[in-house]
Amino acid sequence: MRKHILSAFPMVLGLVGVAAAGAPDDCKGPSADCVAVGSWNFSVALGAGAMSNPLVDGKPIPLVVVPQFSYYGKRFFINDLDFGFTLAESDRSTFNLVASPGYDRVFFYRSDLQNVFVSGFGRAAALVRPDAVGATQVAPRPRRVTYLAGPEWTFKSGGISGQVDVLHEITEQNHGTEVRAAAGLPLLESKGTLTANVGMTWKSAAIVNYYYGAGRIYRAGPAFDPFFKLGYTLPLTGKWRFYTFAQYERLADAIVDSPIVVERYVATGFIGAIYTF
Amino acid sequence: MAGRGFAAACVWAALASAWPALARAATESDIRLELSPRICTLAATDKQCETRVSAQWRSPREESLCLVILNRPEVKRCWEKYSEGNYSLELVFAEDLVFQLRDLALGNVLASEALRVIREALLYRHKRRQPWNIFD
Repeated sequence: MRKHILSAFPMVLGLVGVAAAGAPDDCKGPSADCVAVGSWNFSVALGAGAMSNPLVDGKPIPLVVVPQFSYYGKRFFINDLDFGFTLAESDRSTFNLVASPGYDRVFFYRSDLQNVFVSGFGRAAALVRPDAVGATQVAPRPRRVTYLAGPEWTFKSGGISGQVDVLHEITEQNHGTEVRAAAGLPLLESKGTLTANVGMTWKSAAIVNYYYGAGRIYRAGPAFDPFFKLGYTLPLTGKWRFYTFAQYERLADAIVDSPIVVERYVATGFIGAIYTF
Repeated sequence: MAGRGFAAACVWAALASAWPALARAATESDIRLELSPRICTLAATDKQCETRVSAQWRSPREESLCLVILNRPEVKRCWEKYSEGNYSLELVFAEDLVFQLRDLALGNVLASEALRVIREALLYRHKRRQPWNIFD
């Protein structure tokens, strides 16, 4: 797969060359789509919510206080735990090289940093007890923090925003590949905005086995996980805005068949308010 | 001969009419007005300058004049028969300020200097679009 990624690079760079011809000239001031270069942006979501945990005896991950931050330089950016470099940008398209943490670890470690930026501050503890039913058959093993890196294409056309990432694990833990893709479509825009997001994550067998494999007991294949999300946001007074969403992610058989997984889905819901500093 | 006399009269008339302006120009160049600071630089997040400004003037002869700031009628400081003067004040401003030395009747401008406001140019770019992200 690594070979495939490298062979795709000339094509990506070609697209970048095309995109570079059109400089972004629609960002003249702060807006929902535009941000000042060279400034840090902080926000915090306060509310009630949870993300289900599909693991055996896995506890739901609470969503109560969720800090978020970002920094955008002229090319470089930090977006919570992601960081990247913008190769080319036009009004409609952006090509980045990004690095992003492996996502599935959030189900195994409450202390995973992604659980701070996904679910807020909380108690740091393993989410799967060694003595849990089902899990006792599988020798506990660590799932380390991993980072994946690769090209990212994002676009906006006709109100639809899209994102495609092709990422390869670079922290020498599983050498797997992951493709993340999603599109967001505003369904209703008045005082508030109702948005539907449809997307998927494709994980190579190496990544699926790193998290959900069980030695000789279970060897997984690649996984395709589609998801659907409905979100609603409404500006409130000052720097507050109301935000609520519900997301359903269906897990692939390659994950569900693992002896440490008992749920076929990951459901997430949140209702609260976001304050932007 | 009559034509030559008429031409000479015209030259004298022109010189006479231009004399006040020429004299004023000479006077203006003699009086030096200096501001400190001369530039206020606003960062991207600043809305206005808040600083102490010192205006200092000097002339080779004694002058009677007033220091004023355009569009700031509350600021006025006058001297009578001085060859130099200094005035410091706290100012809050978001646009260029023009300091002027005028005669006591405030009719003629004897010297002028501007305190410039320079704003750091803000660049904007697209936020990262990430519909894959759970909290986007």
